[in-house]
Amino acid sequence: MAARRLSSTPLLGLWTALVLLFLFAPLFLVVLFSFNTSEISIFPIQGYTLEWYGRLAGNEAFRSALINSFVVAAATVVLATALGVAMATGVHRYGARWRTVLRSGAGLPMMVPHLILGIALLSFYNVLQIDLSLLTVIIGHSIVAFPYVFLIISARLVGSDPSIEEAARDLGAGTLTIFVEITLPLLAPAILAAALISFTLSFDEVVVTFFTTGTENTLPMMIWSMLRFGITPEINAIATLTIVVSCAMAGLAEIAIRRATADSTRR
Amino acid sequence: MTRRRLAAATAFLGLPGAWIGLFFVLPMATIVLMSFWRVVDYELVADFTLASYEKLIRPLYLNVFWRTIKVSLLVTLISLLIGYPVAYYLARKTKRFRVTLLVLVILPLWTSYLVRTYAWMLILGTKGAVNQALQAVGLTDEPVSWLLYSDFAVTLALVHIYVPYLILPIYSVLEKLDPSLFEAAKDLGGGRWRTFLHVTLPLSLPGVATGCLFVFIPSMGSFVTPELLGGTRSILIGSIVAQQFGVAFEYPLGSAMALAIMAIILVAAVAMLRAGRPAGVA
Repeated sequence: MAARRLSSTPLLGLWTALVLLFLFAPLFLVVLFSFNTSEISIFPIQGYTLEWYGRLAGNEAFRSALINSFVVAAATVVLATALGVAMATGVHRYGARWRTVLRSGAGLPMMVPHLILGIALLSFYNVLQIDLSLLTVIIGHSIVAFPYVFLIISARLVGSDPSIEEAARDLGAGTLTIFVEITLPLLAPAILAAALISFTLSFDEVVVTFFTTGTENTLPMMIWSMLRFGITPEINAIATLTIVVSCAMAGLAEIAIRRATADSTRR
Repeated sequence: MTRRRLAAATAFLGLPGAWIGLFFVLPMATIVLMSFWRVVDYELVADFTLASYEKLIRPLYLNVFWRTIKVSLLVTLISLLIGYPVAYYLARKTKRFRVTLLVLVILPLWTSYLVRTYAWMLILGTKGAVNQALQAVGLTDEPVSWLLYSDFAVTLALVHIYVPYLILPIYSVLEKLDPSLFEAAKDLGGGRWRTFLHVTLPLSLPGVATGCLFVFIPSMGSFVTPELLGGTRSILIGSIVAQQFGVAFEYPLGSAMALAIMAIILVAAVAMLRAGRPAGVA
Protein backbone atom coordinates (compact mmCIF):
# COMPACT_ATOMS: atom_id res chain seq x y z
CA MET A 1 0.00 0.00 0.00
CA ALA A 2 1.53 3.23 -1.10
CA ALA A 3 0.67 5.44 1.82
CA ARG A 4 0.84 9.10 1.05
CA ARG A 5 3.22 10.90 3.34
CA LEU A 6 0.98 13.93 3.65
CA SER A 7 0.18 14.37 7.32
CA SER A 8 -3.45 14.49 8.45
CA THR A 9 -2.59 16.57 11.51
CA PRO A 10 -2.92 20.09 10.01
CA LEU A 11 -6.22 19.11 8.41
CA LEU A 12 -7.60 17.83 11.72
CA GLY A 13 -6.30 20.94 13.45
CA LEU A 14 -8.08 23.13 10.93
CA TRP A 15 -11.29 21.11 11.41
CA THR A 16 -11.05 21.52 15.19
CA ALA A 17 -10.59 25.27 14.76
CA LEU A 18 -13.66 25.44 12.51
CA VAL A 19 -15.77 23.48 15.01
CA LEU A 20 -14.66 25.82 17.81
CA LEU A 21 -15.62 28.76 15.60
CA PHE A 22 -19.04 27.13 15.08
CA LEU A 23 -19.38 26.76 18.87
CA PHE A 24 -18.31 30.28 19.78
CA ALA A 25 -19.41 32.54 16.90
CA PRO A 26 -23.13 32.56 17.86
CA LEU A 27 -22.26 33.43 21.48
CA PHE A 28 -19.90 36.13 20.30
CA LEU A 29 -22.67 37.61 18.15
CA VAL A 30 -24.98 37.96 21.17
CA VAL A 31 -22.24 39.70 23.16
CA LEU A 32 -21.48 41.99 20.22
CA PHE A 33 -25.12 43.04 19.77
CA SER A 34 -25.44 43.75 23.50
CA PHE A 35 -23.15 46.77 22.92
CA ASN A 36 -24.86 47.88 19.69
CA THR A 37 -26.51 51.32 19.77
CA SER A 38 -29.25 50.19 17.39
CA GLU A 39 -32.42 48.80 18.93
CA ILE A 40 -32.55 45.89 16.52
CA SER A 41 -29.95 43.14 16.42
CA ILE A 42 -28.87 43.32 12.80
CA PHE A 43 -25.67 44.23 10.98
CA PRO A 44 -24.05 46.65 10.45
CA ILE A 45 -23.26 47.63 14.02
CA GLN A 46 -24.33 51.27 14.40
CA GLY A 47 -22.00 52.13 17.25
CA TYR A 48 -21.10 50.97 20.72
CA THR A 49 -22.96 51.75 23.91
CA LEU A 50 -23.56 50.51 27.45
CA GLU A 51 -27.12 51.86 27.37
CA TRP A 52 -28.83 48.43 27.49
CA TYR A 53 -26.85 47.43 30.55
CA GLY A 54 -27.73 50.77 32.13
CA ARG A 55 -31.43 50.23 31.40
CA LEU A 56 -31.24 46.80 33.03
CA ALA A 57 -29.95 48.31 36.26
CA GLY A 58 -33.13 50.35 36.50
CA ASN A 59 -35.43 47.50 35.42
CA GLU A 60 -37.44 46.19 38.39
CA ALA A 61 -38.44 42.92 36.66
CA PHE A 62 -34.81 42.24 35.82
CA ARG A 63 -33.63 42.90 39.35
CA SER A 64 -36.14 40.56 40.94
CA ALA A 65 -35.41 37.86 38.33
CA LEU A 66 -31.69 38.23 39.01
CA ILE A 67 -32.22 37.94 42.76
CA ASN A 68 -34.50 34.91 42.30
CA SER A 69 -31.93 33.24 40.06
CA PHE A 70 -29.21 33.75 42.65
CA VAL A 71 -31.41 32.51 45.51
CA VAL A 72 -32.42 29.38 43.58
CA ALA A 73 -28.86 28.69 42.43
CA ALA A 74 -27.43 29.15 45.94
CA ALA A 75 -30.02 26.83 47.48
CA THR A 76 -29.42 24.29 44.69
CA VAL A 77 -25.68 24.40 45.35
CA VAL A 78 -26.16 23.66 49.06
CA LEU A 79 -28.71 20.88 48.51
CA ALA A 80 -27.18 19.14 45.49
CA THR A 81 -23.63 19.34 46.84
CA ALA A 82 -24.55 18.00 50.29
CA LEU A 83 -26.63 15.16 48.86
CA GLY A 84 -24.15 14.34 46.10
CA VAL A 85 -21.14 14.29 48.44
CA ALA A 86 -22.99 12.10 50.95
CA MET A 87 -24.11 9.69 48.23
CA ALA A 88 -20.69 9.46 46.57
CA THR A 89 -18.91 8.93 49.92
CA GLY A 90 -21.54 6.39 50.98
CA VAL A 91 -21.30 4.41 47.75
CA HIS A 92 -17.50 4.53 47.86
CA ARG A 93 -17.32 3.33 51.48
CA TYR A 94 -20.30 1.09 51.98
CA GLY A 95 -21.38 0.31 48.42
CA ALA A 96 -19.41 -2.94 48.15
CA ARG A 97 -21.32 -5.29 45.86
CA TRP A 98 -24.16 -2.85 45.20
CA ARG A 99 -21.75 -0.27 43.80
CA THR A 100 -22.71 -0.65 40.12
CA VAL A 101 -26.44 -0.53 40.88
CA LEU A 102 -26.06 2.49 43.18
CA ARG A 103 -23.88 4.29 40.63
CA SER A 104 -26.35 3.85 37.79
CA GLY A 105 -29.19 4.80 40.14
CA ALA A 106 -27.50 8.05 41.09
CA GLY A 107 -26.84 8.82 37.42
CA LEU A 108 -30.39 8.07 36.34
CA PRO A 109 -31.81 11.63 36.52
CA MET A 110 -29.23 12.54 33.84
CA MET A 111 -30.88 10.12 31.41
CA VAL A 112 -34.25 11.86 31.69
CA PRO A 113 -34.73 14.95 29.48
CA HIS A 114 -35.43 18.11 31.50
CA LEU A 115 -38.84 18.40 29.83
CA ILE A 116 -39.94 15.05 31.27
CA LEU A 117 -38.43 15.79 34.68
CA GLY A 118 -40.32 19.09 34.66
CA ILE A 119 -43.74 17.65 33.77
CA ALA A 120 -43.23 14.74 36.21
CA LEU A 121 -42.54 17.17 39.07
CA LEU A 122 -45.49 19.34 38.01
CA SER A 123 -47.80 16.30 38.05
CA PHE A 124 -46.40 15.20 41.40
CA TYR A 125 -46.92 18.65 42.96
CA ASN A 126 -50.38 18.80 41.41
CA VAL A 127 -51.46 15.47 42.92
CA LEU A 128 -50.12 16.41 46.35
CA GLN A 129 -51.61 19.92 45.96
CA ILE A 130 -48.28 21.59 46.67
CA ASP A 131 -48.31 25.24 45.58
CA LEU A 132 -45.67 26.16 43.02
CA SER A 133 -43.01 28.58 44.23
CA LEU A 134 -39.26 29.07 44.15
CA LEU A 135 -39.05 26.18 46.61
CA THR A 136 -40.54 23.75 44.09
CA VAL A 137 -38.06 25.10 41.52
CA ILE A 138 -35.16 24.52 43.92
CA ILE A 139 -36.25 20.90 44.45
CA GLY A 140 -36.28 20.36 40.68
CA HIS A 141 -32.85 21.93 40.24
CA SER A 142 -31.43 19.79 43.05
CA ILE A 143 -32.46 16.70 41.05
CA VAL A 144 -30.87 18.14 37.88
CA ALA A 145 -27.55 18.95 39.59
CA PHE A 146 -27.29 15.89 41.87
CA PRO A 147 -25.88 13.40 39.29
CA TYR A 148 -23.20 15.87 38.21
CA VAL A 149 -22.05 16.35 41.82
CA PHE A 150 -22.12 12.59 42.36
CA LEU A 151 -19.97 11.93 39.27
CA ILE A 152 -17.40 14.63 40.06
CA ILE A 153 -17.00 13.51 43.71
CA SER A 154 -16.97 9.79 42.81
CA ALA A 155 -14.20 10.35 40.26
CA ARG A 156 -12.15 12.08 42.96
CA LEU A 157 -12.78 9.35 45.55
CA VAL A 158 -11.66 6.61 43.17
CA GLY A 159 -8.32 8.37 42.84
CA SER A 160 -7.89 8.87 46.59
CA ASP A 161 -5.63 6.86 48.89
CA PRO A 162 -7.61 4.72 51.38
CA SER A 163 -4.62 4.27 53.70
CA ILE A 164 -5.03 7.81 55.12
CA GLU A 165 -8.52 7.02 56.43
CA GLU A 166 -7.36 3.62 57.67
CA ALA A 167 -4.51 5.22 59.59
CA ALA A 168 -6.96 7.62 61.24
CA ARG A 169 -9.23 4.73 62.16
CA ASP A 170 -6.31 2.80 63.66
CA LEU A 171 -5.52 5.87 65.75
CA GLY A 172 -9.06 5.69 67.14
CA ALA A 173 -10.91 8.33 65.10
CA GLY A 174 -14.67 7.80 64.71
CA THR A 175 -16.59 7.80 61.42
CA LEU A 176 -17.77 11.40 61.74
CA THR A 177 -14.33 12.64 62.80
CA ILE A 178 -12.72 10.91 59.83
CA PHE A 179 -15.30 12.37 57.45
CA VAL A 180 -14.93 15.92 58.75
CA GLU A 181 -11.18 15.93 59.42
CA ILE A 182 -9.90 13.77 56.56
CA THR A 183 -12.40 13.06 53.78
CA LEU A 184 -13.85 16.55 53.41
CA PRO A 185 -10.50 18.40 53.24
CA LEU A 186 -9.23 15.84 50.69
CA LEU A 187 -12.37 16.36 48.65
CA ALA A 188 -12.35 20.17 48.96
CA PRO A 189 -11.29 21.02 45.37
CA ALA A 190 -13.74 18.48 43.92
CA ILE A 191 -16.53 19.80 46.15
CA LEU A 192 -15.77 23.34 44.98
CA ALA A 193 -15.91 22.20 41.36
CA ALA A 194 -19.19 20.36 41.96
CA ALA A 195 -20.68 23.41 43.70
CA LEU A 196 -19.72 25.70 40.80
CA ILE A 197 -21.16 23.30 38.23
CA SER A 198 -24.40 23.04 40.27
CA PHE A 199 -24.59 26.82 40.32
CA THR A 200 -24.22 27.06 36.52
CA LEU A 201 -26.74 24.28 35.90
CA SER A 202 -29.31 26.00 38.09
CA PHE A 203 -28.54 29.51 36.89
CA ASP A 204 -29.14 28.51 33.24
CA GLU A 205 -31.98 26.03 33.77
CA VAL A 206 -35.21 26.97 32.00
CA VAL A 207 -37.33 23.90 31.22
CA VAL A 208 -37.74 22.43 34.72
CA THR A 209 -38.18 26.01 35.97
CA PHE A 210 -40.88 26.66 33.37
CA PHE A 211 -43.03 23.84 34.73
CA THR A 212 -42.31 24.20 38.44
CA THR A 213 -42.31 27.93 39.12
CA GLY A 214 -45.28 29.83 40.46
CA THR A 215 -45.44 33.54 39.72
CA GLU A 216 -41.73 34.23 40.28
CA ASN A 217 -39.39 34.61 37.31
CA THR A 218 -35.77 33.59 37.09
CA LEU A 219 -33.39 35.17 34.58
CA PRO A 220 -33.71 32.39 31.95
CA MET A 221 -37.51 32.54 32.41
CA MET A 222 -37.34 36.27 31.71
CA ILE A 223 -35.39 35.63 28.50
CA TRP A 224 -37.88 32.91 27.57
CA SER A 225 -40.89 35.20 28.01
CA MET A 226 -39.18 37.95 26.01
CA LEU A 227 -38.52 35.51 23.15
CA ARG A 228 -42.13 34.36 23.20
CA PHE A 229 -43.94 37.61 23.82
CA GLY A 230 -41.77 40.39 22.48
CA ILE A 231 -38.07 41.07 22.36
CA THR A 232 -36.69 44.29 23.83
CA PRO A 233 -33.16 45.50 23.08
CA GLU A 234 -32.08 44.61 26.63
CA ILE A 235 -32.29 40.89 25.81
CA ASN A 236 -28.74 40.78 24.44
CA ALA A 237 -27.41 42.35 27.63
CA ILE A 238 -29.26 39.81 29.82
CA ALA A 239 -28.07 36.94 27.62
CA THR A 240 -24.49 38.25 27.78
CA LEU A 241 -24.65 38.42 31.57
CA THR A 242 -25.73 34.77 31.78
CA ILE A 243 -22.96 33.78 29.35
CA VAL A 244 -20.37 35.58 31.49
CA VAL A 245 -21.65 34.01 34.74
CA SER A 246 -21.72 30.48 33.23
CA CYS A 247 -18.28 30.77 31.67
CA ALA A 248 -16.76 32.18 34.86
CA MET A 249 -18.25 29.39 37.01
CA ALA A 250 -17.35 26.63 34.55
CA GLY A 251 -13.85 28.05 34.12
CA LEU A 252 -13.27 28.11 37.88
CA ALA A 253 -14.67 24.58 38.18
CA GLU A 254 -12.24 23.43 35.49
CA ILE A 255 -9.34 24.92 37.44
CA ALA A 256 -10.56 23.27 40.67
CA ILE A 257 -10.86 19.86 38.98
CA ARG A 258 -7.39 20.16 37.46
CA ARG A 259 -5.99 21.09 40.85
CA ALA A 260 -7.71 18.07 42.41
CA THR A 261 -6.28 15.71 39.77
CA ALA A 262 -2.84 17.28 40.09
CA ASP A 263 -3.03 16.75 43.88
CA SER A 264 -3.94 13.08 43.60
CA THR A 265 -1.21 12.31 41.08
CA ARG A 266 1.36 13.96 43.29
CA ARG A 267 0.41 11.83 46.29
CA MET B 1 -21.59 -5.22 59.26
CA THR B 2 -21.33 -3.77 62.75
CA ARG B 3 -24.18 -1.70 64.09
CA ARG B 4 -22.08 1.48 63.95
CA ARG B 5 -21.10 0.86 60.36
CA LEU B 6 -24.71 0.22 59.45
CA ALA B 7 -25.76 3.50 61.10
CA ALA B 8 -23.08 5.37 59.17
CA ALA B 9 -24.05 3.71 55.89
CA THR B 10 -27.69 4.64 56.48
CA ALA B 11 -26.77 8.25 57.18
CA PHE B 12 -24.61 8.59 54.05
CA LEU B 13 -26.82 6.70 51.62
CA GLY B 14 -30.24 7.09 53.24
CA LEU B 15 -30.67 10.85 53.03
CA PRO B 16 -29.73 11.30 49.35
CA GLY B 17 -31.57 8.07 48.56
CA ALA B 18 -34.73 9.38 50.22
CA TRP B 19 -34.44 12.72 48.40
CA ILE B 20 -34.04 11.08 44.99
CA GLY B 21 -36.82 8.64 45.84
CA LEU B 22 -39.19 11.41 46.88
CA PHE B 23 -38.49 14.00 44.20
CA PHE B 24 -37.36 11.90 41.25
CA VAL B 25 -38.68 8.33 41.50
CA LEU B 26 -42.12 9.29 42.86
CA PRO B 27 -42.71 12.04 40.25
CA MET B 28 -41.74 9.61 37.49
CA ALA B 29 -44.11 7.05 39.03
CA THR B 30 -46.78 9.76 39.15
CA ILE B 31 -46.74 10.24 35.37
CA VAL B 32 -46.90 6.46 34.89
CA LEU B 33 -50.06 6.40 37.02
CA MET B 34 -51.44 9.58 35.51
CA SER B 35 -51.17 8.24 31.97
CA PHE B 36 -54.11 5.97 32.90
CA TRP B 37 -56.20 8.80 34.39
CA ARG B 38 -58.92 10.92 32.84
CA VAL B 39 -59.70 14.62 32.75
CA VAL B 40 -63.32 15.53 33.46
CA ASP B 41 -64.29 19.22 33.45
CA TYR B 42 -60.71 20.33 33.93
CA GLU B 43 -60.29 18.03 36.91
CA LEU B 44 -57.97 15.04 37.05
CA VAL B 45 -59.84 11.86 37.90
CA ALA B 46 -57.98 8.79 39.07
CA ASP B 47 -58.99 5.91 36.85
CA PHE B 48 -57.60 3.06 34.83
CA THR B 49 -58.26 3.82 31.20
CA LEU B 50 -56.14 3.34 28.09
CA ALA B 51 -57.79 6.36 26.45
CA SER B 52 -54.58 8.43 26.47
CA TYR B 53 -52.65 5.65 24.78
CA GLU B 54 -55.39 5.36 22.16
CA LYS B 55 -55.08 9.10 21.47
CA LEU B 56 -51.31 8.71 21.34
CA ILE B 57 -51.41 6.43 18.29
CA ARG B 58 -53.42 8.88 16.18
CA PRO B 59 -51.58 9.57 12.90
CA LEU B 60 -51.25 13.23 13.90
CA TYR B 61 -49.13 12.39 16.94
CA LEU B 62 -47.35 9.42 15.37
CA ASN B 63 -46.16 11.75 12.61
CA VAL B 64 -44.69 14.13 15.17
CA PHE B 65 -43.01 11.25 17.01
CA TRP B 66 -41.55 10.01 13.74
CA ARG B 67 -40.31 13.50 12.81
CA THR B 68 -38.72 13.87 16.27
CA ILE B 69 -36.94 10.52 15.93
CA LYS B 70 -35.69 11.47 12.46
CA VAL B 71 -34.45 14.89 13.58
CA SER B 72 -32.78 13.40 16.69
CA LEU B 73 -31.03 10.70 14.68
CA LEU B 74 -29.89 13.26 12.13
CA VAL B 75 -28.60 15.53 14.91
CA THR B 76 -26.72 12.57 16.41
CA LEU B 77 -25.22 11.55 13.06
CA ILE B 78 -24.11 15.09 12.14
CA SER B 79 -22.68 15.60 15.64
CA LEU B 80 -20.70 12.38 15.25
CA LEU B 81 -19.32 13.39 11.86
CA ILE B 82 -18.39 16.85 13.15
CA GLY B 83 -17.24 15.80 16.61
CA TYR B 84 -15.26 12.62 16.06
CA PRO B 85 -12.36 14.29 14.19
CA VAL B 86 -12.18 16.91 16.96
CA ALA B 87 -12.00 14.24 19.69
CA TYR B 88 -9.39 12.38 17.62
CA TYR B 89 -7.30 15.51 17.15
CA LEU B 90 -7.45 16.41 20.85
CA ALA B 91 -6.58 12.91 22.04
CA ARG B 92 -3.97 11.85 19.53
CA LYS B 93 -2.60 14.73 17.52
CA THR B 94 -1.91 17.53 19.92
CA LYS B 95 -0.08 17.76 23.20
CA ARG B 96 0.72 21.42 23.57
CA PHE B 97 -2.77 22.86 23.12
CA ARG B 98 -4.69 19.88 24.49
CA VAL B 99 -5.81 21.42 27.79
CA THR B 100 -6.66 24.79 26.24
CA LEU B 101 -8.67 23.22 23.41
CA LEU B 102 -10.42 20.86 25.81
CA VAL B 103 -11.52 23.77 28.00
CA LEU B 104 -12.73 25.59 24.88
CA VAL B 105 -14.86 22.57 23.93
CA ILE B 106 -16.27 22.29 27.46
CA LEU B 107 -17.07 25.98 28.04
CA PRO B 108 -20.01 26.36 25.61
CA LEU B 109 -21.51 23.24 27.16
CA TRP B 110 -22.10 25.17 30.38
CA THR B 111 -23.65 28.21 28.74
CA SER B 112 -27.43 28.29 28.58
CA TYR B 113 -29.03 26.37 25.70
CA LEU B 114 -31.76 28.99 25.71
CA VAL B 115 -29.22 31.72 24.96
CA ARG B 116 -27.56 29.59 22.30
CA THR B 117 -30.93 28.94 20.68
CA TYR B 118 -31.61 32.68 20.72
CA ALA B 119 -28.24 33.28 19.06
CA TRP B 120 -29.37 31.16 16.10
CA MET B 121 -32.49 33.31 15.78
CA LEU B 122 -30.14 36.27 15.25
CA ILE B 123 -28.14 34.35 12.66
CA LEU B 124 -30.90 32.66 10.68
CA GLY B 125 -33.69 35.27 10.69
CA THR B 126 -34.81 37.02 7.51
CA LYS B 127 -32.65 39.99 8.54
CA GLY B 128 -30.11 37.73 10.22
CA ALA B 129 -26.39 37.54 9.61
CA VAL B 130 -26.60 34.72 7.05
CA ASN B 131 -29.27 36.36 4.91
CA GLN B 132 -27.46 39.68 5.04
CA ALA B 133 -24.26 38.01 3.91
CA LEU B 134 -26.04 36.13 1.09
CA GLN B 135 -27.67 39.32 -0.16
CA ALA B 136 -24.46 41.34 0.15
CA VAL B 137 -22.61 38.81 -2.00
CA GLY B 138 -25.52 38.86 -4.43
CA LEU B 139 -26.42 35.17 -4.14
CA THR B 140 -30.05 36.03 -3.48
CA ASP B 141 -32.22 39.12 -3.84
CA GLU B 142 -34.92 38.01 -1.44
CA PRO B 143 -34.05 36.77 2.08
CA VAL B 144 -34.00 32.96 2.27
CA SER B 145 -37.01 32.17 4.42
CA TRP B 146 -36.42 28.48 5.15
CA LEU B 147 -33.34 29.21 7.26
CA LEU B 148 -35.42 29.93 10.36
CA TYR B 149 -38.57 28.13 11.54
CA SER B 150 -37.63 24.86 9.84
CA ASP B 151 -36.15 21.41 10.50
CA PHE B 152 -32.91 22.89 9.21
CA ALA B 153 -32.78 25.52 11.98
CA VAL B 154 -33.75 23.03 14.71
CA THR B 155 -31.19 20.46 13.54
CA LEU B 156 -28.40 23.01 13.23
CA ALA B 157 -29.03 24.49 16.68
CA LEU B 158 -29.34 21.09 18.38
CA VAL B 159 -26.02 20.01 16.83
CA HIS B 160 -24.47 23.24 18.06
CA ILE B 161 -25.84 22.75 21.58
CA TYR B 162 -25.06 19.04 22.07
CA VAL B 163 -21.91 18.32 20.02
CA PRO B 164 -19.58 18.93 23.03
CA TYR B 165 -21.43 16.13 24.89
CA LEU B 166 -20.34 13.81 22.10
CA ILE B 167 -16.75 14.99 21.82
CA LEU B 168 -15.91 14.45 25.50
CA PRO B 169 -16.67 10.70 25.90
CA ILE B 170 -14.96 9.87 22.59
CA TYR B 171 -11.97 11.95 23.61
CA SER B 172 -11.65 10.21 26.99
CA VAL B 173 -11.74 6.75 25.37
CA LEU B 174 -9.22 7.69 22.65
CA GLU B 175 -6.92 9.33 25.15
CA LYS B 176 -6.65 6.17 27.26
CA LEU B 177 -5.70 3.90 24.32
CA ASP B 178 -2.27 2.34 24.69
CA PRO B 179 0.16 4.02 22.22
CA SER B 180 1.93 0.67 21.71
CA LEU B 181 -1.16 -0.55 19.83
CA PHE B 182 -0.56 2.03 17.13
CA GLU B 183 3.13 1.21 16.97
CA ALA B 184 2.27 -2.47 16.59
CA ALA B 185 -0.18 -1.66 13.79
CA LYS B 186 2.49 0.42 12.08
CA ASP B 187 5.15 -2.28 12.49
CA LEU B 188 2.78 -4.78 10.92
CA GLY B 189 2.57 -2.54 7.89
CA GLY B 190 -0.85 -1.02 8.48
CA GLY B 191 -1.29 2.28 6.71
CA ARG B 192 -2.86 5.24 8.43
CA TRP B 193 -6.36 4.48 7.16
CA ARG B 194 -6.15 0.77 7.92
CA THR B 195 -4.86 1.46 11.41
CA PHE B 196 -7.71 3.86 11.95
CA LEU B 197 -10.39 1.55 10.55
CA HIS B 198 -9.17 -1.65 12.21
CA VAL B 199 -7.65 -0.41 15.47
CA THR B 200 -8.67 3.11 16.49
CA LEU B 201 -12.29 3.13 15.37
CA PRO B 202 -13.33 -0.24 16.88
CA LEU B 203 -11.60 0.60 20.16
CA SER B 204 -13.32 3.97 20.36
CA LEU B 205 -16.83 2.52 19.87
CA PRO B 206 -17.76 2.58 23.59
CA GLY B 207 -17.05 6.33 23.62
CA VAL B 208 -18.97 6.77 20.36
CA ALA B 209 -21.99 4.95 21.84
CA THR B 210 -21.99 7.04 25.03
CA GLY B 211 -21.48 10.25 23.06
CA CYS B 212 -24.30 9.47 20.61
CA LEU B 213 -26.60 8.72 23.52
CA PHE B 214 -25.73 12.02 25.21
CA VAL B 215 -26.85 13.78 22.01
CA PHE B 216 -29.85 11.61 21.17
CA ILE B 217 -31.49 11.74 24.63
CA PRO B 218 -31.75 15.53 25.03
CA SER B 219 -32.66 15.91 21.34
CA MET B 220 -35.61 13.53 21.76
CA GLY B 221 -36.81 15.57 24.73
CA SER B 222 -35.94 18.99 23.35
CA PHE B 223 -38.57 21.65 23.84
CA VAL B 224 -37.00 25.11 23.98
CA THR B 225 -35.08 24.83 20.69
CA PRO B 226 -37.86 23.47 18.43
CA GLU B 227 -40.34 25.84 20.09
CA LEU B 228 -38.23 28.88 19.21
CA LEU B 229 -36.60 27.79 15.93
CA GLY B 230 -39.11 25.31 14.54
CA GLY B 231 -42.10 27.58 14.18
CA THR B 232 -45.16 25.86 12.77
CA ARG B 233 -43.21 23.99 10.10
CA SER B 234 -41.02 21.95 12.44
CA ILE B 235 -43.01 20.86 15.48
CA LEU B 236 -41.30 18.25 17.65
CA ILE B 237 -42.96 16.07 20.27
CA GLY B 238 -41.51 18.11 23.16
CA SER B 239 -43.71 21.08 22.27
CA ILE B 240 -46.80 18.85 22.06
CA VAL B 241 -46.02 17.36 25.50
CA ALA B 242 -45.56 20.84 26.97
CA GLN B 243 -48.91 21.95 25.53
CA GLN B 244 -50.71 19.15 27.40
CA PHE B 245 -49.40 20.57 30.66
CA GLY B 246 -50.35 24.11 29.72
CA VAL B 247 -53.54 25.46 28.22
CA ALA B 248 -54.70 22.07 26.90
CA PHE B 249 -54.73 20.63 30.44
CA GLU B 250 -54.41 17.06 29.26
CA TYR B 251 -52.00 15.71 31.89
CA PRO B 252 -52.86 12.06 31.15
CA LEU B 253 -52.14 12.40 27.41
CA GLY B 254 -48.96 14.41 28.12
CA SER B 255 -47.82 11.73 30.59
CA ALA B 256 -48.42 8.96 28.07
CA MET B 257 -46.41 10.91 25.48
CA ALA B 258 -43.57 11.48 27.94
CA LEU B 259 -43.47 7.76 28.69
CA ALA B 260 -43.40 6.99 24.98
CA ILE B 261 -40.38 9.31 24.68
CA MET B 262 -38.72 7.48 27.59
CA ALA B 263 -39.42 4.13 25.88
CA ILE B 264 -37.80 5.36 22.66
CA ILE B 265 -34.81 6.61 24.67
CA LEU B 266 -34.52 3.25 26.43
CA VAL B 267 -34.59 1.31 23.15
CA ALA B 268 -31.99 3.66 21.68
CA ALA B 269 -29.81 3.33 24.79
CA VAL B 270 -29.85 -0.47 24.69
CA ALA B 271 -29.19 -0.51 20.93
CA MET B 272 -26.39 2.04 21.03
CA LEU B 273 -24.62 0.59 24.06
CA ARG B 274 -24.84 -2.91 22.56
CA ALA B 275 -23.44 -1.64 19.25
CA GLY B 276 -20.73 0.16 21.18
CA ARG B 277 -19.33 -2.87 22.97
CA PRO B 278 -15.62 -3.05 22.25
CA ALA B 279 -15.42 -5.31 19.23
CA GLY B 280 -12.71 -7.07 17.29
CA VAL B 281 -10.19 -7.09 20.13
CA ALA B 282 -9.63 -10.05 22.36
